[in-house]
Amino acid sequence: MAPFTAAEEENLPEGLQPELMPKHVAVIMDRNGRWAKNKGLQPWDALRQMGIQVLTVFAFSTDNWIRPKIEIDFLLNLFERTLKSELETLAKNNVRISIIGDSSKLPKSLLKVINEVEEVTKNNTRLQLIVAVGYSGKYDVLQACRGIAQRVKDGEIEVEEIDERLIEQELETNCTEFPYPDLLIRTSGELRVSNFLLWQLAYTELFFAQELWPDFGRSGFIEALMSFQQRQRRFGGRKS
Amino acid sequence: MDSNEPMLLLSSRIGQIGDLGLDLLWRFIHIVVSLCHIVSGITEAIQSYAISLGLIQKYTSIDIEKLRCLAVVVDIEVARDVSKVVELLQWLTTIGVKQVGLFDSQGLLKKSKDMILEMVPGSMLLQETGEKDISPDRKGVAIEFISSSDNKEAVVKAANILLQRHLKSSHPENDDEGENVFTETHLNEALRVVGENVHVPDLMLVYGPVRSHLGFPAWRLRYTEIVHMGSLKYMRYGSLLKAIHKFTGVRQNYGV
Repeated sequence: MAPFTAAEEENLPEGLQPELMPKHVAVIMDRNGRWAKNKGLQPWDALRQMGIQVLTVFAFSTDNWIRPKIEIDFLLNLFERTLKSELETLAKNNVRISIIGDSSKLPKSLLKVINEVEEVTKNNTRLQLIVAVGYSGKYDVLQACRGIAQRVKDGEIEVEEIDERLIEQELETNCTEFPYPDLLIRTSGELRVSNFLLWQLAYTELFFAQELWPDFGRSGFIEALMSFQQRQRRFGGRKS
Repeated sequence: MDSNEPMLLLSSRIGQIGDLGLDLLWRFIHIVVSLCHIVSGITEAIQSYAISLGLIQKYTSIDIEKLRCLAVVVDIEVARDVSKVVELLQWLTTIGVKQVGLFDSQGLLKKSKDMILEMVPGSMLLQETGEKDISPDRKGVAIEFISSSDNKEAVVKAANILLQRHLKSSHPENDDEGENVFTETHLNEALRVVGENVHVPDLMLVYGPVRSHLGFPAWRLRYTEIVHMGSLKYMRYGSLLKAIHKFTGVRQNYGV
């Protein structure tokens, strides 16, 4: 993944230090129902300009399947339309899209669009946008375990070789060079991770913002990054 | 050329004055922001003391029944100061918290558990079977000591148990991919077999410089409210009460 360019370093907002930027930012976009109406900055625009290399967004949780069907259909339809409408922009901006989560319950039309988007953008290097759809942290751990079980049955690995590292390799976030978020942002003032990236968040800095997602915007990202960098500067010896 | 020189000089002077003006403005903004932070800190400290003294009505009675299990994460740097941890546990006992999961990544508090239990009146060690004995009328707090080894390492052990079960399955053709074996329920059971508590904390208080749970058992954190409390060294009873009171007012949708 390409690091900061000289132009991007120059355009970095005042107060942010390029060497302290997190490589991977995860976002729980609370109150994103109004996202379609948001005429402001898309998250990947802001973060790409700031040199973030991976952005993971929590679009739809496995826990959300219990919502009314009409709401689920609306959300998945919205996601499908957004992917189609943003594909050209993302491709032009050198953004790679990866989708993680349990795809078995997703509509066929959405799966088709996902495959197309992933294929078209697979060689892009400026920013990797990981969208978690039908995903949860517990689902991820369990599917990793199933994957390992299959590899044992196939004779690829021995039972004695199973350790934390092997489970981490099987997690769906292994689609990126930086699977562990440095910073997690959650909007709307909620103070929990809601089953998102449970295994991966051990040492992630948690930033809980009061604004709703559509109001979060560039200034919100800058505040979150400044907060992150301030902690980094003070306790730089901490392993991330 | 000569006629341009005074203009260039004037332009340069104006530029310098402008730069100076901007610099002063920037410093002024910094001062204002710093003052705001100072005032905010003082206000918070005053409020905290007022809460501690019972001067703010709404904090004098807390519906503590909503807080069935509290997790406390302590940064490794402060976990060495057991006296502050003991003081915190004494406060929690006073407030009426019944169950506390005390975590530090290196297990320093685990090593000091006998001393901690001795110094916190009415406290006892929470065992998995003991969890069922916690009743609202029981005095004192049940403490569980947790470290990073109870996180990923425990999940690996539990996953291995499920794997053995899957490999020995009498009808492997019915569940080729292990979907009936590798479920949340089965992993919970397997975690209990390896000696882990799977009870989900309702609220987690993080004491330390970083806003991170530092490796607390991830499997248990699905819908836990996480509140950063700052340094353990400067902890305040009022801030603790405020955090717990705020939690009792939270409404969770659990994905709905």
